[in-house]
Formats: sequence, structure tokens, C-alpha cells
Amino acid sequence: MTFGEMGVLSLGLYLAGLVVVAEIARRARKDSSPSDHFLAARDLGVFVLFLTLYATAYSGNSLLGYPGKAYRSGFSFIMATGFMMSIIVVFHALVPGLRPIAVARGFVTPGDWVRYRFCGEPGERALTLAVGILMCVALANFLLAQLQAMGHMTGRVTDGLISYELGIVGLAFIILFYENRGGMRAVAWTDAAQGILMLLGLAGLLWWLLGTAGGLAAITERVAEVRPAAVAVPDATVCANWFSSIALLGIGSVLYPQAIQRVFAARSGKVLSRSFAIMTFMPLTTTLVVTLIGVAAITRVNLDLGVASDEVTPLLLEQWAADGGAHTAGAILVFLGALAAIMSTADSCLLSLGSLAAGDLLGRSGQDPETTKLGKRLAALILLLMVPLAMWGQLTLWRLIELKMELLIQCVPAFLMAMHWSGLRAWPTFWGLCAGTFASAAMALGGIKTVGGVHVGLLGLALNALIAWLGSLASPPHESASS
Amino acid sequence: MNAGKQRLRGLLLTLIALLFVVSVPWYRETGEEVVMFFGLPEWVAVALGCYVGVAILNSLAWLLTDVIDPEDPSPREESR
Repeated sequence: MTFGEMGVLSLGLYLAGLVVVAEIARRARKDSSPSDHFLAARDLGVFVLFLTLYATAYSGNSLLGYPGKAYRSGFSFIMATGFMMSIIVVFHALVPGLRPIAVARGFVTPGDWVRYRFCGEPGERALTLAVGILMCVALANFLLAQLQAMGHMTGRVTDGLISYELGIVGLAFIILFYENRGGMRAVAWTDAAQGILMLLGLAGLLWWLLGTAGGLAAITERVAEVRPAAVAVPDATVCANWFSSIALLGIGSVLYPQAIQRVFAARSGKVLSRSFAIMTFMPLTTTLVVTLIGVAAITRVNLDLGVASDEVTPLLLEQWAADGGAHTAGAILVFLGALAAIMSTADSCLLSLGSLAAGDLLGRSGQDPETTKLGKRLAALILLLMVPLAMWGQLTLWRLIELKMELLIQCVPAFLMAMHWSGLRAWPTFWGLCAGTFASAAMALGGIKTVGGVHVGLLGLALNALIAWLGSLASPPHESASS
Repeated sequence: MNAGKQRLRGLLLTLIALLFVVSVPWYRETGEEVVMFFGLPEWVAVALGCYVGVAILNSLAWLLTDVIDPEDPSPREESR
């Protein structure tokens, strides 16, 4: 049996397993309410919650984009381990305040917080809508990156027997199927299996790379010979970018709607704390590993430093598979683990997109089963629109992540500032959000990614927060806030 | 959360912030010779050491964090 045929068979078995999980999850549902479908009836325990948080956070970006970026940047991409860790640190500013209110009020989407916090104020509806639009655009962007990654991985795991385009369409259909059938339960349970596969796969790939190269020191020495800049102490601009990435990704990522919804979906506050206490170690087992894989690739493959560098992981896996026997099986396991991780992030994005579009954009709320149906239909529509865009596939995965964060981080005042300062008012927050988004999007679309190493999204946030702060100071206090 | 736990959590978060600052090699000369440490360039090993420290301290900080639910969790929930 050829590598491609083994890949097709393994992929088929894996996808059949997903369909079975979807059916079991459908039978486990308690009712047709949005909280049951989108939040698994708020009953996720430590193990499943941790693994679903893990599989959602580490995705196609981690497995394809990050090694590609490490291949381009060298050891300075160790910064990724720091910024992934900063996310779990910044959650301290959000979770202890948000979770009790979310449970007491039955929140389903992030917009429920905005509605609650600015309730009855002039500008509340506009702000909820603006936050909803930004989050949907950021999620759609993230979903697009996952669809592209799915296409790449399917082509690789089947050695071209299934094309990039067919991979995107086929896997998008499977995701839509199991998500519609089983909702958050199906997503969380498949995420748990996908998280384990990803951990095993990455460990196997790193073990092979270190073994064949003669250890970490040998890899570093060889990298220093091939590309000395990759091991050199980074300059001031890279250091500024390092700090900026920690702030941008740390602050922005806590506002991932799918992450916020998992905060709502935890069985209890204690379950949530324990899950985060474990999650904080995952950058060391995942981001660090993919960084080392990308750096090690400098000595093994010679790629163009643009879009092609996203092919680093698949190329390394092909080399591993070429060793034959157990190596081929190991490479197929990693391919499947990577594909599973990508699908787990895509399904979480899609589930959140459906609920946000129905709840925050169209203003449907409560526990009405019709809201669940509407969310499912909107998710299907969004996926249909995203698939052709993914087939076009011109941007690098890393650039897609950055564009998403630049938008998402503009929601920070509506959540973090609003939670810790009762004086924040809705209209100034809305105008700040518009100004910050416009400024950072204009710079990003104008080709300016950073200014002196600082991401334009952070500059937009500074403008955004300043307007929200000054505008709120100048506004008369609102009755509900003053009482 | 009692005051002692609150203070300890605050201290841990402050230490985490310091580790993030030290992890970035802004205090090193760009052109200086790269020394190896545990198979990695020294500045990379320092960053990695800082991130291991962040992971440990942050895990402790989360275990000290009381995320309060409106209703008390049942014994079944506690045991899982």
C-alpha cells in the first residue's frame, strides 16, 4: 500500500469516528436551547474543558503558521512561547469577574456581557453590534486560515490523491455535519481526541528530528552555519516586536469568542481555575516544540521565505515518512493529528460564528430553540461563503493571524476596561472602538504592519482606549451605573 | 478570596510580569558573541527559563484564584 493510500484509509477512519461522536453527542443533548447547543448545557468538566481549550487555541496556525514563522525568523520566534503563555495570564483580568455574572445571567455570547454592562445606556445597541461585527470578522478570518490549512494537510496526508480544493470542501462538510448534529458537546469531545493526537504527533516529530540531527546542540550549531542571523541576539526592533506580540496576542486572544464561550460552558468556577492551571504549561509542550521544528527545518529544507514557508511542517513529515516502516506510520499519525487540530479550531470558530451572528448581530437572545436553528443556518451560510475564499489562498497563515488580532484587540475596552472601571460609558467606548479599528485597519491595509516593531493593532488600541477614557470622563454618569 | 491569598496571587502576577520583561533580550548587545547553553543560544535559554517560571507561577496563581459561582458546586462536581 502506498503512502497516499494509507493516508486516504486513515483519514476515512478518522472522519467516520467524528460522525459517530456527533451522533452520540446528539443523543446526549438535554433540549434544543441555545445554551445546550452552543455551551453543552454549561457542564464541561476539567478534562474535556482543558482539552477543548487546548485544541481550540492550538490549531492550523500553530502547526503550519508557527513553524513557517520560526523558519523565517530563527530562534527569536521563541517569543511565541511567551505570547501563548501571556494569554493564560491575561485571563486573570477577565475570568474571575466575568464568569459569576455570566452564570447568574445565563450568557451565551460575548455580546450578552456588553448588553448587561451597558444596559439601558444610550449607545448600548450600537456598541453590542460593533463588538459583534468585529468578533465575527475576526472569527471568519480565523476560520479562513483553518480552511486553508485543512486543504494543505489533506493534500499532504493523501499524497495528492485528494486535492487542496476537495480537501477544503469535504472537510468543511464533515465539520458542518457534526457541529449541527452535536453542537458544543460534539465539538468539545472531538477536540479532546484531537488535542491528544496533536500532542502525540508533535512529540513524535520532534523526537525524530532530534534523533536524526544528533541532538539539540547539533541542530543549533548547524543553523548557526547555514543562517547565522537565526541564532544571533535580536536587534531593538525585534525586541520591541517581541514585547508587542506578548501584549497583542495576550490581550487580544482572551477575547476570542470561542474562548469566552468556554468560560461560560465550564461546569463550575473551580473546574475553570484548574483547567487554566494546566493550560498554562501547554505552550512549553506545543509552541516551543513547533518553534524548534521550524528552526530545525532551516538545516533540512530550502524554501522561499514567503507563502511557501508555511509548507515547512508538511515537507518535514514527508521526509520522515520516506524513512519507511514505523516512520511512515508515525508521519501519518502526525498528519492526522495536525488535521485534527486544524478541524477542532475550525469547528469552534464556526459554532461561535453561528451563535454570535444570531445573538449579537441579529439581536436574538433567550433560550428559544428558534435561535439555535437560526445559529445553525447562519453557520452553514458563512461556511459556504468562506470555502471559495480559502481556495484562493494567497496570504500567509501568519499574516492572517495578525490581521485577526488587530481587529479583535479593539474590543478590549468593552470587556476589560468595562469590567474594572464602572465609569466607562457606551458611546465613548463605541467611538473609541470605531477609531481604533479604522486606524489599525487603514495602516494594515496600507502595508504598515508595525511601527518601530510595535503592532499597529496595539497603536489602534491606545487611541481606542484614550477616546473611551476621555469621553467617559466628559460624559454625565449613567443612572444604573451610579446606583 | 481571603486577603492573604489575594496578596500572594498579586505577588505571583507581579513576578510573572517581571519574568516577561527579562525574557526579551533588550538588555543584550545585538552583535555580541553567541554562547551555547543546554544546546541553545544563551539568550534563548534565558527566555525559555523565564517562560518555564511563568508557567509554574501562573499555574499556582490560578489555583489560588476563586472563580465564584452563584450556586455552590455539588459534591459530584468537586470530585471530578
